[in-house]
Amino acid sequence: MFLQQLINLFEEKNNKKFLAKGNFLIQEGQTETNIYFIKKGAVRVFHLTDAEEQTIRFGYERSIINSLASFIQESPSEFYIDAVRKSTVLVLSKNDLIQLVNLTVENTKAYNTFLEVVITQQIERELDLLTVSPSQRLDRVLKRSPNLFQQVPLKYIASYLRMTPETLSRVRKS
Amino acid sequence: MKIKSEKLIEYLLASVNKAKNSVLEFKQKNLTKLNAKSAQKKWSALECIEHLNLYGDYYLPEIEARILKQNRNTNRVVFKSGIIGNYFASLMKTTNGKIKKMQSPVEMNPQNSDLNATTIDRFIKQLDKLIWLLNEAKEVDLQKTKTSIKLTKLIKLRLGDTLRFVVYHIERHLDQAEKAIK
Repeated sequence: MFLQQLINLFEEKNNKKFLAKGNFLIQEGQTETNIYFIKKGAVRVFHLTDAEEQTIRFGYERSIINSLASFIQESPSEFYIDAVRKSTVLVLSKNDLIQLVNLTVENTKAYNTFLEVVITQQIERELDLLTVSPSQRLDRVLKRSPNLFQQVPLKYIASYLRMTPETLSRVRKS
Repeated sequence: MKIKSEKLIEYLLASVNKAKNSVLEFKQKNLTKLNAKSAQKKWSALECIEHLNLYGDYYLPEIEARILKQNRNTNRVVFKSGIIGNYFASLMKTTNGKIKKMQSPVEMNPQNSDLNATTIDRFIKQLDKLIWLLNEAKEVDLQKTKTSIKLTKLIKLRLGDTLRFVVYHIERHLDQAEKAIK
């Protein structure tokens, strides 16, 4: 209910952003002031080290995403978000979100439920990373997101699963 | 070449800090400019930086592993270059604004790869790592500590020479990058 209301608010504000593949929603060091609804396409959240880009999360079509810690704490983001293919994104500011959340007690409750889902997802993700076997790691993720391979290029999935693209191909075949 | 270990590290640190400042300036420029090339076969500024990233991927973990294996407080006062090490380092060095031209190995050629703002950010992280490594290197023997090189498994260089090589290599390609955006 709240989620639908939230999506309605996105549609109502209709602040559209068109992203080509590789275009950024946010970069490291910037402060996240928005949340995003992926209307079309797909994005990824990644952390950059001196050696590689480590993908930590995907935003698929019709999902809501942002650089969460930066958004909550209003601190510089440690993550980048970029489009993995051509995407259309609806943007909503923190202020607009808070207004909606504070509108009714039900909304506040629903927002809390929404955050609980996010926390649960984070714990699932932690368990992913603790799973030793590459094939089990893949199985866990496919259970959550069966259409993963249709939405996101293989190299990013490999990075998300903390394995090389070669290992991922092998594991997929068996 | 003979130099006080402390002096050498000090000099290299100053150079890396200077490099970091110029790269932070690159970050302010727009991507079109950073991707621009004066000729088909010439490298753009981002390609120069990606080339350094590719070398960093090899040298930074190698240097780190070698330093961490050493006992601390084993530093020697005067560092003396090895013959081969000095040769490689000098090869990279820009002298009086002049460089020895050379061909980069194919796997280290960044041309036509997918380059954007993270290329620079990654390089800044590598420079920070290098600054950290140079500070760590103050406590070990720059001469007795040996590091492998990318080119061949047959020889190892003195840590002091490898650090010189890496830093001169950065100077060299940042000069090239500066020229590319002019």
